[in-house]
Amino acid sequence: MQEFIYHRPVTITELKESLCEPGARILAGGTDIVPRMRQGRFSSSILVDTSGVDSMRFIEDQGNEIVLGALTTHQEAAESALLKNINPALVTAAESIGCQQTRCRGTLGGNIANASPAADTLPPLLIFDATLLLQSLGGERRILLEKFILGPGKTDLQEGEFIHSISFKPMFGSWGSAFIKVGKRSGMAVSVVNAAVAVELNDKEEISDIRIALGSVAPTVIRCRKVEQSLIGKVPVPELIKEIHEACQEEISPITDIRSSEEYRDHAAAVIIHRALESAVEQAIGRGR
Amino acid sequence: MKEITVAFLLNGKKTTVTSLPNRTLLDVLRTDLGLTGAKDACGGEGECGACTVIQNGKPVNSCMIFIGQVEGTQITTIEGMMEKGEYHPLQKSFVEAGAVQCGFCTPGAILTAKALLEENPHPTDQEIREGLSGNLCRCTGYNKMIDAIHLAEERGGDD
Amino acid sequence: MTDQFHTVGKSLTRKDAWDKTTGKALYTADIPVENVRVGYLVRSPHHYARILEIDKERSLEIPGVLAVLSSDDIPGAKEFGPLIPDQPSLAMDVVRHLGEPVVLIIAETKQAAEKAASQIRVVYDPLEPVFDPVQAARDDSTPLHESGNVITLLNICDGDIEKGFQEADHILEDTYTLPRIHPGYMELETSLAVWGEGQTVTVWVSSQHPFTDQGFIAAALDLPVENVRVKSGVIGGAFGGKEDSSLSILAALGAWAIKGAVRLVNNRRESFLAHPKRHPAQIHYKLGARKDGIFTALQTEVHMDTGAYASYGPAVAAILTETLAGSYRIPNVQVETSVVYTNSPLSGAMRGFGSPQSHFAVESMVDSMAQEIGMDPVQIRRANIIKVGEKMFTGVILNESASALPICLDNAREVIDRFQAIEVSPGKKAGVGMALAAQTMGLGANVPDDSSHRLEWAPDGKVLIHLGAPDLGQGLAMAVEQITAEALGLPYGQVESLPLDTLDRPNGNTTCASRMTYMAGNALIDASDKLIQDLLSRAGEILEVPANKLVYKEGQIIKEDGSSLPVVEFLGRLAEESITLTSESTFSFPYPEETTPQHLPIGMPHVLYCFGAQVARVEVDPDLGTVEVTHFAAIHDVGKVISRSGVEGQIEGGVATGLGYALYETMLKKDDQWVDSFTEYLLPTSKDLPNHYESIILEVPEASGPYGAKGIGEIPLVPTAPAVANAVNDAVGVRVTKLPITPERILGL
Repeated sequence: MQEFIYHRPVTITELKESLCEPGARILAGGTDIVPRMRQGRFSSSILVDTSGVDSMRFIEDQGNEIVLGALTTHQEAAESALLKNINPALVTAAESIGCQQTRCRGTLGGNIANASPAADTLPPLLIFDATLLLQSLGGERRILLEKFILGPGKTDLQEGEFIHSISFKPMFGSWGSAFIKVGKRSGMAVSVVNAAVAVELNDKEEISDIRIALGSVAPTVIRCRKVEQSLIGKVPVPELIKEIHEACQEEISPITDIRSSEEYRDHAAAVIIHRALESAVEQAIGRGR
Repeated sequence: MKEITVAFLLNGKKTTVTSLPNRTLLDVLRTDLGLTGAKDACGGEGECGACTVIQNGKPVNSCMIFIGQVEGTQITTIEGMMEKGEYHPLQKSFVEAGAVQCGFCTPGAILTAKALLEENPHPTDQEIREGLSGNLCRCTGYNKMIDAIHLAEERGGDD
Repeated sequence: MTDQFHTVGKSLTRKDAWDKTTGKALYTADIPVENVRVGYLVRSPHHYARILEIDKERSLEIPGVLAVLSSDDIPGAKEFGPLIPDQPSLAMDVVRHLGEPVVLIIAETKQAAEKAASQIRVVYDPLEPVFDPVQAARDDSTPLHESGNVITLLNICDGDIEKGFQEADHILEDTYTLPRIHPGYMELETSLAVWGEGQTVTVWVSSQHPFTDQGFIAAALDLPVENVRVKSGVIGGAFGGKEDSSLSILAALGAWAIKGAVRLVNNRRESFLAHPKRHPAQIHYKLGARKDGIFTALQTEVHMDTGAYASYGPAVAAILTETLAGSYRIPNVQVETSVVYTNSPLSGAMRGFGSPQSHFAVESMVDSMAQEIGMDPVQIRRANIIKVGEKMFTGVILNESASALPICLDNAREVIDRFQAIEVSPGKKAGVGMALAAQTMGLGANVPDDSSHRLEWAPDGKVLIHLGAPDLGQGLAMAVEQITAEALGLPYGQVESLPLDTLDRPNGNTTCASRMTYMAGNALIDASDKLIQDLLSRAGEILEVPANKLVYKEGQIIKEDGSSLPVVEFLGRLAEESITLTSESTFSFPYPEETTPQHLPIGMPHVLYCFGAQVARVEVDPDLGTVEVTHFAAIHDVGKVISRSGVEGQIEGGVATGLGYALYETMLKKDDQWVDSFTEYLLPTSKDLPNHYESIILEVPEASGPYGAKGIGEIPLVPTAPAVANAVNDAVGVRVTKLPITPERILGL
């Protein structure tokens, strides 16, 4: 295991100060970093352990916005009644990650910073146009989650910065959101392809707003805006799957790897978008009544 | 690399360890504290649950926790399951239900089950399967573990 | 009818289970030893390469490093192998697979060893590797060993294959592809060796064959066998993969080099790369049948990839080949099986030992034939199952055990009907499939197979079983304790099996091949008899009465006048004279002359079979191709249940492993690396297994077995994959002939 200088701040100020040293990286739950350090796939001369920074673990309804502390664990997100109400896709996604043991340690912020193209919590945040609050000793900035993820494992996080919190605005009216994941097995399932869909229906039960995000079909998790465009104004019917599949072709670039084939991912992406849409629509109709 | 000192509650007792910070809780438990109940079966990737301990009431993989991250927390290992020389209901039920074969996954599974029953005293089969899904077993097929957990639950589950 | 047994047949608790629930049980990595040093292996980064130079100089200068060893440093035998001594303990002039051990570092800490490893310079000349056994078998392929790449070529014929196919109204042909899979034991390979006085060494192993380890260690260190003492730690699962002496030899070598204590513990990556797997195989299978469903001919060609070293390859080939006709009578057969070296990680023993591979082929093909003819899958099997007294194509005449087959089918029929009536979940397609299984017991004809065990009646009345073979975690100790308690009429609590220690222990042979309960059980019943006779004789001397006037019953010696004395009294008296009551017995696996053909190569045929059937209900998502096994039934004949919870546990665990083979497990090669961790190698979790599960345990007594018992260790994972494949075919009309059955394969994507 690599050697490193270890810091354990307990306040946000101490955290900011620790991150000032060049090369300092955050250690949150450790479920990604510890194994990768052991394998030599991650290294840092300074690790800043955030276990003691309790003030960054929260799920709050701040009226206009839902704000999630970056150190909120996946288990906490999965159990949140508030989140189940405001973004059920995120709850489904958080429940589906790994197993009890990893959910109780893995954090929302950590999952974002890890920026895996297969990350499960990212699509449900992208469909709600989530923004991140990044802080450092020098100040703070907000950035759209979509802009923050730059490539597989790459983010816009600058030296000295950390993710403080994630926020998004709830949807209103007849809306619904759903998340579906295809894994290679049911337990401890890594995604072969995953999708989050949020939909809003108008009085005629036509799609007035739709957001679709996919994982494992591109170098990063992506919003499928072309697919979204093609569905505006449509009535959700089973036949839509063909249109979804066609529209996907322009946006997704799945690969064949150890887990699955390009052809399967291509096919399955459309299937799960359609199913997530159906589920979201059912919620929307329920809310509309 | 400087050593750090970590203070935490281990099986109910105040404990302090001094260690290089790049060692995991699993390593410290097994090597420094002689508590070999937690096992390494997957090479520290968090894929098998054989290293499971309970931290602040939650089951966690000790192979993925650097020792510094244990500061101020409550840790329960399998060695801390017995109370006053009596087997915990889960230890008894695992034995009686035939849920122990080679036993390598047993400590981790029992701790996961303990945390599960404390949160959810009357779990369904499906909830048990969900709860145990991070504990791999190659011997039993899990059926008798589920029986054992129900048996413990019927007898009044946790302490 | 009431069971007349007082211990056998019951569900009792294992005595070793308590310590396993408290962390007290000591596996080999846990055993506390003073000043134990770390053994660390530097392994080949190439699949195939010549070693030009090994430069250890700088590594020896690292503080805390005590020894750096390569093959040249091994004082005795540099290679070992259970059938062919082709496996170097440390690579010699060539490395033949990725991860092959090249240099052994002994250091005070793991950190020091890792630093030393980074300072070792091995100069390799990489060679072109071959991974395809068909290619490796060709004459123009580079021989990976001096003997050439084809280790075994079996060719067995029975009847007239041409005539057989002429008589067929239907002929079907297909190729079944079986992947390389890992035994998946949770306890990684470990060994601990402590050097002793007078050129002796004590080695703790997690091993199925401690006596074999003893021999290999002695040979490698050029020591007399008596100088090597091997002890069994608590074993965390084996499943065939721990019939492998590599780490025990290396730990002993390390201890020898530093004249101290050395422990080697593999990580999971090392386990994947360098320890035995299940043989991948390609099975070309051609079956002919009449329109009434009767099989007329079978022709197969099988290619097995044994990887870089032979391990148990030829023996696996034997069982694979013998079981290609499954449970069926096929009068005309021609089977050809080759075992070939490649630069893949080595394959060797794994639970089932060739039978899971052959059964995927035969049981898939039988269903395909049923479909072709328009016959019910149970019916076609009923028409063809082999009967008591009939001959298999190997010439083996089946004994009474074959009467289990129609009973298995009757039970399967009942389960299938129940499973088919279950309502289908919305949006899914449901299917039910079955498979039969015939699993061999024993090592095969003309392979010496003796198992010796000893009993000791301690002065406190406890009977100690000096078991000559290890309990791998499956509950062998409990089973033999129940048998011995039964034989001696004593309570289960009064009998205890001792952990294996080669010092002063009879050689019980390897725990494998579904036979140790059978072998040890038989030996211990005989030893119990002898113990009683010895007791009566000594009691007679003490009481000054002829031994034949005394009767032993349930811990008491009964005199002619009806009065009785507890055995402990006599044991106490004998102890005063320093006499310990012991008895020993050896059981040899029976190969009755009348029913064992002699025309086949050594190790063939196997003559004692277990039979079973399994039924799977699946629901397939027709758009995603994902498969859920919703209901499962396992029907197995065990002859006689010795330990009910033990038998159930073996079946349930075996089915889980079988489902892993069917749906999730494969050790693929990605880029230039093999799958080497549980992140990509998917064992079934509790969420992946059916909530509705039933075991139906049959007891068709085996005359040669202890109280009629047979083996159960391997068969539960044999019919599983074909049962699932047949169920998937029933659900969506897709015949998947490659394992694992993935959504991609079901959808053809």
